[in-house]
Amino acid sequence: MSIDTAASAAAAQHRPPPAGHEMALVTVDANEAVASVAYRLSEVVAIYPITPASPMGEHADEWSARQRPNLWGTVPQVVEMQSEAGAAGAVHGALQGGALVTTFTASQGLLLMLPNLYKIAGELTACCIHVAARSIATHALSIFGDHSDVMAARATGWALLASGSPQEAHDLAAIGHAATLATRIPFLHFFDGFRTSHELQKIGSLDDNTLTALVDAEAVEAHRTRAMNPERPVARGTSQNPDAFFQGREATNPFYDRCPDVVADTMRHFAALTGRRYQLFDYVGHPEAERVLVMMGSGAECAHETVDALLARGERVGLVKVRLYRPFAMGAFHAALPASVRSLAVLDRTKEPGATGEPLLLDVTAALAHAVTTGTRAALPRIIGGRYGLGSKELTPAMVKAAFDELDAERPRTRFTLGINDDVTGLSLPVDEEFGAEPPGVSRAVFYGLGSDGTVSANKATIKIIGDATAQACQGYFVYDSKKAGSTTVSHLRFGPAPIRSTYQIRRAGFLAVHDPGFLDRFDVLDRAEQGATVLLNTTVPPEQVWAGLPREVQQTLLQRDCRLFVIDAYRLADEHGLGRRINTVMQACFFALSNVLPVDEAFTRMKQAVTATWGRRGSEIVRRNTAAIDAAVAALHQIPIPDTVDATKTRPPAVPADAPDFVQRVTRLLLEGHGDRLPVSAFPPDGTWPTGTSKFEKRAIALDLPIWEPDLCVQCNRCSMICPHTAIRTKVFQPDDAAAAPATFRSVPEGFTPELEGLAFTVQVAPDDCTGCGLCVEVCPGKDRTQPRRKALNLQPAAEHRTSEREAFDFYQQIPDVSRTRIPRTRSGIALLEPLFEFCGACAGCGETPYLRLLTQLVGDRLLIANATGCSSIYGGNLPTSPYTTDADGRGPAWNNSLFEDNAEFGLGLRLGADTLARRAHALLERLAGQLPADLVRELTGPCPTGDDAAIGARRAAVTRLRALLADIDGGDRLARCADALVPRSVWLVGGDGWAYDIGYGGLDHVLASGRNVNVLVLDTEVYSNTGGQQSKATPLGAVAKFASAGKETSKKDLGLLAMSYGHVYVASIAMQSHTPQTLTALQEAESYPGPSLVIAHSPCIAHGYDLVNAPAQQRRAVGSGAWPLYRFDPRRIETGQSPLVVDADPVTVPLRDYLEQEARFRMVELADPERYERLVGAGENAIARRHALYQQLAAVHLPTQED
Amino acid sequence: MVDLHTDWLGLRLRSPLVVGASPLTRTVEDALRLSDAGAGAVVLASVFEEQIVAEQLGMHRFIDSHVDTDAEARSFLPDTDVVPIGPAPTLRRLQALRAALDIPVVASLNGITPGGWTDLARQLADAGADALELNLYEPPTTLQATSAEIETRQIDTVAAVVAAASGIPVTVKLSPFYAGLPAFAAHLAAAGAAGLVLFNRFYQPDIDLDTLDVDRRLTPSTSAELPLRLHALAVLHGHVGLQLGATGGVHTGLDAAKAILCGATTVQLVSALLDDGPAALARIIRELTGWLDAHHYRSSHDACGATDLSNVADPTAWERLNYARILESWKPARTRR
Repeated sequence: MSIDTAASAAAAQHRPPPAGHEMALVTVDANEAVASVAYRLSEVVAIYPITPASPMGEHADEWSARQRPNLWGTVPQVVEMQSEAGAAGAVHGALQGGALVTTFTASQGLLLMLPNLYKIAGELTACCIHVAARSIATHALSIFGDHSDVMAARATGWALLASGSPQEAHDLAAIGHAATLATRIPFLHFFDGFRTSHELQKIGSLDDNTLTALVDAEAVEAHRTRAMNPERPVARGTSQNPDAFFQGREATNPFYDRCPDVVADTMRHFAALTGRRYQLFDYVGHPEAERVLVMMGSGAECAHETVDALLARGERVGLVKVRLYRPFAMGAFHAALPASVRSLAVLDRTKEPGATGEPLLLDVTAALAHAVTTGTRAALPRIIGGRYGLGSKELTPAMVKAAFDELDAERPRTRFTLGINDDVTGLSLPVDEEFGAEPPGVSRAVFYGLGSDGTVSANKATIKIIGDATAQACQGYFVYDSKKAGSTTVSHLRFGPAPIRSTYQIRRAGFLAVHDPGFLDRFDVLDRAEQGATVLLNTTVPPEQVWAGLPREVQQTLLQRDCRLFVIDAYRLADEHGLGRRINTVMQACFFALSNVLPVDEAFTRMKQAVTATWGRRGSEIVRRNTAAIDAAVAALHQIPIPDTVDATKTRPPAVPADAPDFVQRVTRLLLEGHGDRLPVSAFPPDGTWPTGTSKFEKRAIALDLPIWEPDLCVQCNRCSMICPHTAIRTKVFQPDDAAAAPATFRSVPEGFTPELEGLAFTVQVAPDDCTGCGLCVEVCPGKDRTQPRRKALNLQPAAEHRTSEREAFDFYQQIPDVSRTRIPRTRSGIALLEPLFEFCGACAGCGETPYLRLLTQLVGDRLLIANATGCSSIYGGNLPTSPYTTDADGRGPAWNNSLFEDNAEFGLGLRLGADTLARRAHALLERLAGQLPADLVRELTGPCPTGDDAAIGARRAAVTRLRALLADIDGGDRLARCADALVPRSVWLVGGDGWAYDIGYGGLDHVLASGRNVNVLVLDTEVYSNTGGQQSKATPLGAVAKFASAGKETSKKDLGLLAMSYGHVYVASIAMQSHTPQTLTALQEAESYPGPSLVIAHSPCIAHGYDLVNAPAQQRRAVGSGAWPLYRFDPRRIETGQSPLVVDADPVTVPLRDYLEQEARFRMVELADPERYERLVGAGENAIARRHALYQQLAAVHLPTQED
Repeated sequence: MVDLHTDWLGLRLRSPLVVGASPLTRTVEDALRLSDAGAGAVVLASVFEEQIVAEQLGMHRFIDSHVDTDAEARSFLPDTDVVPIGPAPTLRRLQALRAALDIPVVASLNGITPGGWTDLARQLADAGADALELNLYEPPTTLQATSAEIETRQIDTVAAVVAAASGIPVTVKLSPFYAGLPAFAAHLAAAGAAGLVLFNRFYQPDIDLDTLDVDRRLTPSTSAELPLRLHALAVLHGHVGLQLGATGGVHTGLDAAKAILCGATTVQLVSALLDDGPAALARIIRELTGWLDAHHYRSSHDACGATDLSNVADPTAWERLNYARILESWKPARTRR
């Protein structure tokens, strides 16, 4: 076979389907492609949301809500469980009950399922589940893709089936469901998280007839017949003694032995039905290849593309794509591998520290050794193994080629890594960055957008339009940063005549769009422009001034790469058409006008059709506005002539200030610039320990308007700084002399409202590059100009006019010394003057969670230990590149850690135990050395230290300092000196959302509360799984729409507080900070001072509620006023003073419930969809509130016997 | 017995007393009680152009703008294909009333610009509305738009709604603030309007002296507001090809009689019914019937327009000269008896 024939044989893998079986082409991502198969082949879907698998469950939920039937004409029951462990249990049970069952998961979720996976396999139960493979959290959490989760499941007895593209995922999902029924071996089908799960491709879809033909109806009936049935009773799940267990385990062998053949048969059957051929191991490459790679997942697509390119260069290379990884069919592997192979590299997308090699390498090695042992093969080829792509690290053709090159080396590295620079253990292979393997004829476009401007949605629409309108293959991949406010998105679009296997980001694009001009100052966006590229820039700068305003680097690239530059003021155009900042349709129209991928008229017609299809359901006005914007776009587009020379004086500002610490300069800066991939291994802390206080170096300047202070109107209430979700507006009192050298832009007035602070100066200062412009500070500002009531003490004004002056003022503000904490009263307004140790996080504009955390750091930040459950608060609280937790002038601040989602309470209890252990050790050593220390010092260090008293804490710290000085001269004193910090009381807080506290972590939380230990729990209750996209939790209120409750939740919100109160020894509070700050303050202080467990449940407005969060304070007042959110404090200490432990802080119901509900889309959607149901739910809600209120009133009136009684 | 049957916009009403656009007909039960009390027709609460647009844009903003913004969340609320939103509740309420009532049900829109929102007119017509009332409520607040421009836009709006309304009659509800009301009315007729309702109440906001905010409390009308309507009815009746309705200030049967005498085919009631709707409606009907009977009118139709500009004994009472006479007749309070 010639090379040409080899290449065409590779291409012929995807033959057209047989006549009469035309498959509809659809443009979808793998999550949807897989869910569509799994849903139709299932009767029960038990799920739990986890990135990047959540969309599969959401699709199933939506289809079930729409009553879409499965292949057997019934609507699958989709049930969301409290955790993946719960989902797996439900899957196991439903299977034993006789249903066809599936689930979707990833990462930690799969780990939580492991015990049931063993059970399901052990009972030889037909089941196929789908995993968007994702990293397991180790030194850090990563939501991105690799195979460490599925590899952790490889011992469960499940068959593992790997897909590398959305088409394969669609097809192998079907093959998995068919094969499990035929074999009784459960199947775990996986594909790479994000790279495949979220990649859009045009695929041939499987219709119901094909699925019906593929699945053996008899096998389905056999599965149902195996159901537990009292008419034919059996016992399963017995416990067995040494006499029986082992043999029973071995009894399954025949099923595993025949499994690969059955899968191969199913694949042949599938090929006959669809024309798309798969084998257990698919080989592509030279028929007499000498160097071969073995891989699975999306990386194999990139390797396939590379092999094609190398074949064209005459190289004898090949690739084995593993489809069925377990059971590993050794015979089929040998059959796939050319006999000519001299050397073999096995690439694993996982890491097993300390192993002799990663799992696939070991399996391949064992299979080859087995072949030599049995005589099937004369000798072993040279086998080497590499790791690549952990946490979605890119794998490019250049890296694949590096692996092939290594196979050619005289003494290749037997263990290596690809895609990083390992300067510590030297494992990484050098890569020729210039090598590329993309076939000719591919159009590439890259778009830099803001999360909120609709760029990604528009690009998804573009791909579908081109996919539908042309015969071209298409691919879309979308990269998001981890910020929730002002997030950046990068869309990578490819279109081409042949299947696209480029499973990596676009390096050079012919079309490059910059949807926000701010990107030019923050990133080297033009780095992705190819020679002659068309660059489209959205800018408010008039066309004639654009060139002069570009940074020097941008001018240089435009010139050097001979680019065409077009500009449009899409913000103005969108605004004129009543679309606010949604510039997506305008920019999409410009793309079609400039890129010529479709005739412009046709493109616009199809765009308008898409607009109608997508937003027609919103109403004709939305369609009209978007359509008008499309029509107006081309006329507003201007080409900017590129002069011959670079003449800009302005250069791109540095990503971090020049005076930032060394680590920030060396590491954080590159992460911020988007060049983290260039950082070598040595740059990274090996144990995942990172400095805090780095968010201040990340200056994003995303606000369009800034709050500007009018000192003459200010009443110094500090509500602005108290409500700011990003700690971007600060209030401070200081010695007037400290402002003697202030720049003119810095303003202050005498403090005039608090007697304790008399003589000090007061200021309100915005951090102009950290503000998101959410407007909450202005909303709550009570200072009004009596002659012009619209003018308040804070007013939003255009950032462009104030940024420079406010930068100068904020720089000055930061270096003003704080007055002593002990001087500041712990009042509603005073508390905001304490230094916050949580600042500039990446939460959504208007976030209702973050003010609680900031307040916590103001109260106890310098001795705070935080255990943070995974969720929004762990993302804005601990997602690289920066940390928002920071330190005071003495270097003290919150120490923060995220263990997992499910175990945060237990983890936090552990922190308490650890801290107590250190404290005990310190006290024991102190006691031992007491005779050698001054008695007053020992008394000071062993006496009580009230935690609410800053003076006492300060005195304790001074005593520790004095102790350390004395210990230097005492024999054996160094041991105490090392742990003397533990003599200062620590405040342990367990922080997380309602998904953690009400659902997945509830068992642990309950146990920790029961333990009686001194931990404080802060539940940031958004009443929904916010981070994964609005799935219902048990905190979701009755009547609210959420994912998995799309018609409005039928049951009441769980009363977590009441459950905790039932212990009697737990401090419990329900708080709402934006509307009832003093009660929040009291509750947090009481919780902190309570010597046992405390639970504080905090009402947290969230974008998932569907309203403008600038109205959150008013809306929270309605929530409290209507009784929907109770305010109370349950303090067991009150019992001893003869009072009821419960104090209800909210007024009796003063606002009709519907006045609260109608303000939020989550409730309004029910009203719009089904008014009668809405009325019923409102009635039920009113009733539930009335009952709870009555119960709390009675509890607040009870008098419990004291200890003495 | 006096015959109250009335022909209005091509509809046969059993009484000229119509329940005006308000929450009075929010539920089928409330509407049935009013119908039982003798209402000739009901007008549903107005759906505002801004409400329609804001609803659409709000969902666009609070749902669509959070789609595809984040790696972990493709959206934050369920797909609205599953939860249909839009005018459905309005249409469903209309359908429910239409099914339950045997009197005409008039849907009401409140808008002033031709735009995508007018599509609702078609949906309301398709859902069974017997007629549409378009309320042109517009307190101008900008220096840019002249009266002529505003009126032209309003006429275009009426034309757009008439075009969208699939052939059901459209009556236009106006505010009193038109310099050339008769001519404007003629333009509306040319644009396809079938009737006029005079006048909508300009809800004059008050000032909250504590917050310096505008106080939006609603004050019910009184009979004192009726004469303004009577004047306009009397002037327009018979002069423009539009059927007239009175609204604002009718609290008694005698008020209703006055409106009919000045040319109103129908008389809308809202404030009068807010407290004890059906009972008040029954009282007003009794009073009207009693007056017509006492004054020997066999039907309300006979009384319609008896005192309009063409029929009244002294037409100058409706004209400019009347103003001078009223002023002349004024005496200081202390001399009045």
